[in-house]
Amino acid sequence: MKLVRHLWPLLVALMLMYMFHRSWGVIPPLGKLFNPFVGFLQNAEQGSGIRDGEIVLAGLRGAVTVWYDDNAVPHIFAQNDDDLYFAQGYVIAKDRLWQMEFYSLVAAGRLTEVVGPGALEYDRYNRRIGMARTAANITEKLKNDTVANRILTAYAAGVNAYIDQLAARDLPVEYKLLNYKPERWSPYKSILMLMNMRHTLSGGSYDYRLTNVLTEYGPDVMADLFPDYPAIESPIVPQGTPWAFSPLAVPAAPNVVAAPPDTTLLAFHVPEPRPEVGSNNWAVGGRKSATGLPILANDPHLQLTLPSIWYQMQLSSPNENVYGVALPGTPAIIIGFNKDVAWGVTNTGSDVMDFYRIRFRDATLRTYWHDGQWKPTTRYIETYRMKDGSKVLDTLYYTHQGPIVYHEKRSTNYSSNIPVGYAMRWIANETDGADLLTFHYLNRATDYEDYREALTYFTAPAQNFVFSSNGGDIAIVSNGKLPLKWKEQGKYLLDGTLGAHDWQGWIPREQNPGVKNPPRGFVSSANQFPADTTYPYYLDWRFAHSSRAIRINERLDAMMHATADSLRVLQNDNYNVDARRILPRLLTSLALNDSIRQSAEYAALARWNYRNDADAVGASIFENWLDDLLRGIWGDEFPAEKRLLYPSLDRTFELINNEPGAKWFDRVDTPDTIETIDDIVHGSFKTAMAKLRERFGELSARTWAWANVKQTRIAHLVPNFTSFGRKNILNGGGSGVVNATSRTHGPSWRMVVQLDTDWPVAYGLYPGGQSGNPGSKYYDNMIDRWAAGQLDTLLFMKRVDEQSERLLHRTSLKPKNQ
Amino acid sequence: MLYILILLLGGAFSYFGPWWTIAPVSFVICFCLPQKPSAAFWTSAFAGVTLWVGYSVYLHIGADTDLTARVAGIFTAGVPALADMPAIALVVILATLVVAPVSGFAGLAGVKIRQLIRSSL
Repeated sequence: MKLVRHLWPLLVALMLMYMFHRSWGVIPPLGKLFNPFVGFLQNAEQGSGIRDGEIVLAGLRGAVTVWYDDNAVPHIFAQNDDDLYFAQGYVIAKDRLWQMEFYSLVAAGRLTEVVGPGALEYDRYNRRIGMARTAANITEKLKNDTVANRILTAYAAGVNAYIDQLAARDLPVEYKLLNYKPERWSPYKSILMLMNMRHTLSGGSYDYRLTNVLTEYGPDVMADLFPDYPAIESPIVPQGTPWAFSPLAVPAAPNVVAAPPDTTLLAFHVPEPRPEVGSNNWAVGGRKSATGLPILANDPHLQLTLPSIWYQMQLSSPNENVYGVALPGTPAIIIGFNKDVAWGVTNTGSDVMDFYRIRFRDATLRTYWHDGQWKPTTRYIETYRMKDGSKVLDTLYYTHQGPIVYHEKRSTNYSSNIPVGYAMRWIANETDGADLLTFHYLNRATDYEDYREALTYFTAPAQNFVFSSNGGDIAIVSNGKLPLKWKEQGKYLLDGTLGAHDWQGWIPREQNPGVKNPPRGFVSSANQFPADTTYPYYLDWRFAHSSRAIRINERLDAMMHATADSLRVLQNDNYNVDARRILPRLLTSLALNDSIRQSAEYAALARWNYRNDADAVGASIFENWLDDLLRGIWGDEFPAEKRLLYPSLDRTFELINNEPGAKWFDRVDTPDTIETIDDIVHGSFKTAMAKLRERFGELSARTWAWANVKQTRIAHLVPNFTSFGRKNILNGGGSGVVNATSRTHGPSWRMVVQLDTDWPVAYGLYPGGQSGNPGSKYYDNMIDRWAAGQLDTLLFMKRVDEQSERLLHRTSLKPKNQ
Repeated sequence: MLYILILLLGGAFSYFGPWWTIAPVSFVICFCLPQKPSAAFWTSAFAGVTLWVGYSVYLHIGADTDLTARVAGIFTAGVPALADMPAIALVVILATLVVAPVSGFAGLAGVKIRQLIRSSL
């Protein structure tokens, strides 16, 4: 009793310490978090948060100087390439460690380890599409590639040098909130980062819904409503450009082109190709520029996040001096320029993900039928570790095509639009090539030949690499491994028992679509068709809607004496080509209805100048109406619950403008009446306006302004951390205009580079900040300038001892034992 | 005296130690310097609160960005009633709720363990 009377305060104290030491569900460890000596307040930075001085690092061979400029951009000067990549890893980790590790956990399907079982289905999906295994295989192969292996190893050593000297109080605040610690970095994790990009940019498919359309309506309707080339297009390689190669024989299409599911069980969801994940790039040649030398521009559109997906830096060694943006976790500069050349990327978006219906011998799934014989599957056991240390096991089977992503229906599956028992062939699971070497060699390229050589290392996701040099060349190539397919191969779900349904090899790399110094004086891309119908190979039946491409090419065609600022203005162009194409016809139709013609909404739309500017009410009306219009036309024949795909915008617009009597305008659910296009136009307009009034009240210039209706936001990577993101960013744009800023996606980096025989002048910025720390003033400092369409002048240093008042801090990295 | 000692030693050791450093400091000081149990509890708690809240407010005021508001926002996201409270107030309250009982009970434990050992001798 006496013991209890004297010991209870100690027990209470220990219990409290335990309680506040760990996280409980979503409640973070309160003790660690609110102790000001180690908690989040240690991340609240005074001033720039960057210190001048010297840091000794084991693993460096020579001294490295890092200058930080007034935007916290590091300029790294190393004496050899190993030290350069080491320092790149170190410096990026210092600003973005949590983010890069988070991405690597996503790609590896390991989020459960830091956020708990809630992420299990997301992890299972990422694991079962094969990303982690492929990353491991690529890493293993790259060990034999001396150049790539050295880069990856040096980079990882740099990241680890930072992790090793990281005190608990300096941990990024997300670790403190989620209560875990960083693991050591490795080359494998850098490859995982690249897998994320493969997934984001080539991880979509229409195959299932198109197969349903084929089953429902047959090949004639398919050919009519889902043609293999749009009515209006402005392809990347200008129409009429001759193909300077002899093509391979294209395999003949088999009699059977689709394998509809023999079950109604749906297993998982593959996102559709996302129209908002697109990008713009172009280069104007000397004939069109004010300087007589090329100017290049690029703005990749991705989901807008904090910390930002990109990180600006300058990398300099005796072998290169390059500036641009890097992906945190990956060596080299991905989009950038050096003294002689500039380059940028947009996604090519060809069909590189196909699904095969597999016929198993029995329920063990050990054997499957292919090309006349039984073949064994390969089996893997996946282990998922939970935050509390417990484990979940999962079995995954592979055929020669790839993983059977899900072989059983489970109600918990992430979400569903792919039938059970289909194997996936996906470019992201190719293990040859060395994507990062493309960037390594582009970083040090001096001319067109270097650029073409660098491109040969690249596998996926296929990108339209735009290029310009101060030698006067401009070029663009849809680069990456592209499967050699019969016409329309993979437009539908495929039959895994037929050898003819396998991918038939590859398009020879030098025959990928591309053009150098075209007569029109510029090259450009906006994710549209790489080439017109004269291109001898089948790439896909559909690419991104052509509206951005059409506008860019019109503007560049008309442009003379172009300056960097002309290209900046084009990046921010809000002109809505779709409105120009379709709105006159729609307004004529609307005017037939008296109540609509007299409405304020009609008046605003009729007055609209087709620009998705921030204050445009017409843009709000048009953009919101479009969804209801599509639903009005297609919703009856292609209902969502039947999982059928709507025809494309291009086909719909053609129908409205040129085939107003088409049967598709008549609603199938009203057998007694025949609706016309006008009925659909009126009905959908009223529905859309009612929704807008419900959300924003009666029409007013302020509340119905496009920026207010669109409400662009930039969220933190952890969805729950809403206060770490930015909301209500007021700007124009839209997914179909050149300034492709939608609610959640947009230009994730804007760059304009004016080449020069002496020294280039470059501009750029991205919607975020260099620091990943929400407690830094460089966390989101570029967002307002980005929203206003401004660009920063980039400080591209010639030498380490160059003087500039923009250089604020100098950090010397010194090797140990010297 | 007790208060000043816990504050000073607590501050010095907290700079290097884990978040719960204040607990062993209060425990040891209250073990070494004879106290009434209630005084040990309240003085330890109060010294812990002074240390944590004082340093928190210092860091908050010195910072160039309002990280306090961002972190507090995570806690108040689902609770609109708390959203109007100044973020630093929420942080002060939570810090107090953590450190006061931890430091207080550790101090009290120091006195009680001392009594236990003495009465056993």
